Amino acid sequence: MKTELNLQDADTFYEQLLNAHEGLNAQASEQLNMRLILLLANQVGDAAVLRDCIESAKN
Amino acid sequence: MNTPHFKEVQFTNGYEFTEGTGYTLPEYPFVRPPELVHNKTLRHAVVIVGGGITGLTLACALANLGIKAVLLDEDNTVGVKGASSRGICYTQKSLEIFHKLGIFDRIANKGIQWSVGRTFAGDDEVYNFDLKQQSNFSLSEQPAFINIQQFYIEGYLVESIQALGHVDLRWQSRVKAFKQNKDFATLSVETPEGAYDIQADHVIDASGSHTPFHAWTGVTMESKKGDDRWCIADVRFDTRPPTERHTWIEAPFNENRAVWQHLMADDVWRIDYQMEPNADAAYISREDVVRERLERQFGKNVKVDIVWVGPYAYKSQCLNTLRMGRVFFMGDTAKIVNPFGARGGNTGVADADNLAWKLAAVLRGHADETLLESYNDERLEAAQENVKVTRRTARFLRPADGIERAFRNATISLAKQYPFARSLVNTGRMAVANTYRGSRICGDNGGVSVQNVKIQWRPGKTGALNDLLQWADGRLLLLVFGEQTKASLKRLQELSLSGLAVRCVQVLTQGDHAQAREHVWDKQGRLQSACAAVPAGGWALIRPDGYLADTGKAINGELVGAVATSLGL
Repeated sequence: MKTELNLQDADTFYEQLLNAHEGLNAQASEQLNMRLILLLANQVGDAAVLRDCIESAKN
Repeated sequence: MNTPHFKEVQFTNGYEFTEGTGYTLPEYPFVRPPELVHNKTLRHAVVIVGGGITGLTLACALANLGIKAVLLDEDNTVGVKGASSRGICYTQKSLEIFHKLGIFDRIANKGIQWSVGRTFAGDDEVYNFDLKQQSNFSLSEQPAFINIQQFYIEGYLVESIQALGHVDLRWQSRVKAFKQNKDFATLSVETPEGAYDIQADHVIDASGSHTPFHAWTGVTMESKKGDDRWCIADVRFDTRPPTERHTWIEAPFNENRAVWQHLMADDVWRIDYQMEPNADAAYISREDVVRERLERQFGKNVKVDIVWVGPYAYKSQCLNTLRMGRVFFMGDTAKIVNPFGARGGNTGVADADNLAWKLAAVLRGHADETLLESYNDERLEAAQENVKVTRRTARFLRPADGIERAFRNATISLAKQYPFARSLVNTGRMAVANTYRGSRICGDNGGVSVQNVKIQWRPGKTGALNDLLQWADGRLLLLVFGEQTKASLKRLQELSLSGLAVRCVQVLTQGDHAQAREHVWDKQGRLQSACAAVPAGGWALIRPDGYLADTGKAINGELVGAVATSLGL
């Protein structure tokens, strides 16, 4: 799992993430996040990296 | 939000008869056993308790190897009285085992072959597959799956055992008590004509999920139960749906709960409906309620005959060891899987085929007693894997309310758009021949099942790997690929004369010359590719259950070591 910056454009990504949630109620936001997690997980692919990410997110 | 209300229900992974006409099952007569005739306690090498698909497969496999055994069954028929329909789907590996036991042709003639599966959510098809397009099924002489009612297979096994002899099938014989010491076990048996005691060197408990042997032996287990409820309807129609496995994760005609639709023999369809959590068993299986449900799916105009209906709840459970002293657990006494992916009956069949050759090898003096320990290594690993896989399916099909359901919604919506998410949709992962990674008798390249590949005895005369296994008659089968050096041939001859329980066959390909009387042709290289692609000049050691013990590149001391290891020597 990478812990140093790997994003090409961190501020733009963060803004896009917030914009995507604008105007959504809690349930719609939750669905968006879940779809996003699954889409991103498939980009990562590597089982050990995914396991480390889940563990790190818990703490 | 509607929180599921948990109440205590009677758990069963079986099907209890409620409505419908059912089938007429064969009845087998009670015969007075020698213990009652001579009023004497006798000792038997093998006593099998339970004449379901697992116990009968073991009995038939032992009979096939000429090993004497006694099978005790409390009923006088196959299936379960009144409730005559249980497992329906048999995998390639099970079909290969049934081929070895001589009943495959009957199963193929009676059953239904299928290869196309479709999964729906709402009105959308989420994905489909065709197993015929998948190369991992293509090497075998047997198809990927056949659907057939379980009691047909059990009936064929009974007839096969009767024809082979060696196994004494004792119907209406219920085991009431059990004890064991270091040397033997004693079972007290109750019959219509009196009770008797029977002694056994090896007891195999294949008596199903309600076994008394768990309590008698004190074996420990890990168990989980949930609130998921289903109702089966086995029906006949005047119209014919396609011969495909259809699964709905969310069926509009079943209040957005799951539905399975499968064809079996005799034009009978098995339709499984997922019910509300903790649904009332009596209500959901009432005939008028079932009819109304069928009407919602198939329309008012389709004439439906209900053959059999049964509500069910399920639990999953796995023993911590499959052997307690002289008792071996197999089938549903070893583990109970959630009923998805055909992982129940098929793994019982595999349990039986695994232990049969090991018992035979020990009883014939071909192997050390420690060989039997490998049954626990291999089949406990398989049991744990199957319990794990089916628990994952159950969690997808009955997600906990809240975040688990939300993740499922996200998965289904993505699966409709993108191929990757279809792999997350879990309507059951079909059973496979489990791999053995932690077995004391398998080498580094072993522990995988070899498919029943077609071979040529000589031009124009074909057979299959199973014929070679049958010829080896419970011994290991050593396949040597391609032409060998003189030194290698000499070593093979020495191995043949060593007294080890192994039979050797040379496998030849285009351009090779036979150097041994026992040779077969594998011109397309199918057998070689089924044996973990052993290079020419190398060897593959195959066990009587069709599993690879190990492979090697040259005829040397490693081969002799592999033979000894495979026999627990």
